[in-house]
Amino acid sequence: MTENSNIAIKINHVSKLFHKQKQRTFKELIPALLGGEKAVESFWALQDIDLEIKKGETIGIIGPNGSGKSTLLKLIAGVSMPTKGSIKVNGRIAPLIELGAGFHPELTGRENVFLNGVILGMSRKEINEKFNQIVDFAELWDFIDQPVKHYSSGMYLRLAFAVAIHTEPEILLVDEILAVGDEGFQRKCFEKIEELRKNNITIIMVTHVLASVEKYCDRALLLKQSEIIAIGKVNEVLKKYSNNV
Amino acid sequence: MKMLESFTKYRELLSELTMREIKQRYKQSVLGYAWVILNPFFQMLVMAFVFSFIMRIPNLGVPYPIFLYAGLLPWTLFANSLGSASNALVGNAGLITKIYFPREIFVISTIIAKIVDFLLALSIFVAFMFYYHLSVNWNILWVIPIFAIQQLFTYGISLFLAAANLFYRDIQYLLGLVILIWMYLTPVIYPTELFPDKYRWIFQLNPMAVIINAYRQVVLGGGMPNIQSLGIALILSLIILVGSYKFFKKLEGIFADII
Repeated sequence: MTENSNIAIKINHVSKLFHKQKQRTFKELIPALLGGEKAVESFWALQDIDLEIKKGETIGIIGPNGSGKSTLLKLIAGVSMPTKGSIKVNGRIAPLIELGAGFHPELTGRENVFLNGVILGMSRKEINEKFNQIVDFAELWDFIDQPVKHYSSGMYLRLAFAVAIHTEPEILLVDEILAVGDEGFQRKCFEKIEELRKNNITIIMVTHVLASVEKYCDRALLLKQSEIIAIGKVNEVLKKYSNNV
Repeated sequence: MKMLESFTKYRELLSELTMREIKQRYKQSVLGYAWVILNPFFQMLVMAFVFSFIMRIPNLGVPYPIFLYAGLLPWTLFANSLGSASNALVGNAGLITKIYFPREIFVISTIIAKIVDFLLALSIFVAFMFYYHLSVNWNILWVIPIFAIQQLFTYGISLFLAAANLFYRDIQYLLGLVILIWMYLTPVIYPTELFPDKYRWIFQLNPMAVIINAYRQVVLGGGMPNIQSLGIALILSLIILVGSYKFFKKLEGIFADII
């Protein structure tokens, strides 16, 4: 498909219906069923989302809490399926959602680099080759053989970010993680993201920090109550955001 | 067969997740892996005491402790596998909402970790065999297919439990009770012969009963297992596995939404 070769992600009229299970235990479920209550409640988390993201583009998704930003990211990551419509993704995705989810506190930093790397789709061989770079980036040589439960939260996130960034993704999903660590490390993360942008990596950023959208994104998208309110030039969308919210 | 993808395409991920399970175990306690061996050993000692001195099981041809151990070890493997598999998805919520790979890998890795535990606990059994001067013959090779059937059965039930527990967390508590009752309906601590004749057909429908009897026949008795019963167990296990796998895969798309 030559016409699509420069499209990283194509989202085609996607809607997502959430079934919220009200009862999590039999103790709650049985009386509810006897009383004629419904066991599930549904609501639309996203409605008719139509979106094309080009390769190498950096797009920022903003919107109030509960507007569907994270759901959209989950759909792109492929962990959740759309109820209607379709999503096409071209290229290897590295999600930076909920950093550190693949870490185990009892394992050492070194063991966790391998665990998290493999989870993110690298082979052990690749991780071996990049191990020094990863630890250099995280600046954690002194602690790499200690269990990560002894790490400070900043150190923990530094290591997680370092692993994720070295998976050489073609599409990077970033969810509110850039408030990580001290200022020096934040600058380093931003520099790395700049570098990825130059290498034609597609970046999708979900954030509340409007400054980082202004600084890094080519385009912005405003979600409100599960629909796209505005999409386009960053400053126009940001203006709409401050008028709307 | 897409079912086998977890073992080929995702081999490295499977081994990392399995190592995580195994490592966390010995890092958490002082005795670490010793517990894996000591637990079933002490359980066996207590039960052997009760049933040789108080309840008095009739002569079985082999000493009761080793008769008991031959059933208790595979049973413990089965029960522990189901217990940890029912938590395999719930305990990995962070990953499930983050990145996609086939979710059964969580279930498989926890089962493999339990098999490692089992192999370690087996060392004491082997020591006991020497201690009592029990000999084995070529029929012992039957343990390989018997073990394979046990794992097929375990995997099938585990897939169902892991997915169901995501929806209703009661499953894991209910499971403890079911396992307890199930153990008494399986000839683990008593020989089949002690079970009333007219109800003995129940064992035919209980793959774990067939499997445990078969282990004893080939390891302690030195004979052939009951092929017909094993065949039924194999067919039942496969039916359950295919059904559970379909159930699991059908719900997989909404795991991240409800977790």
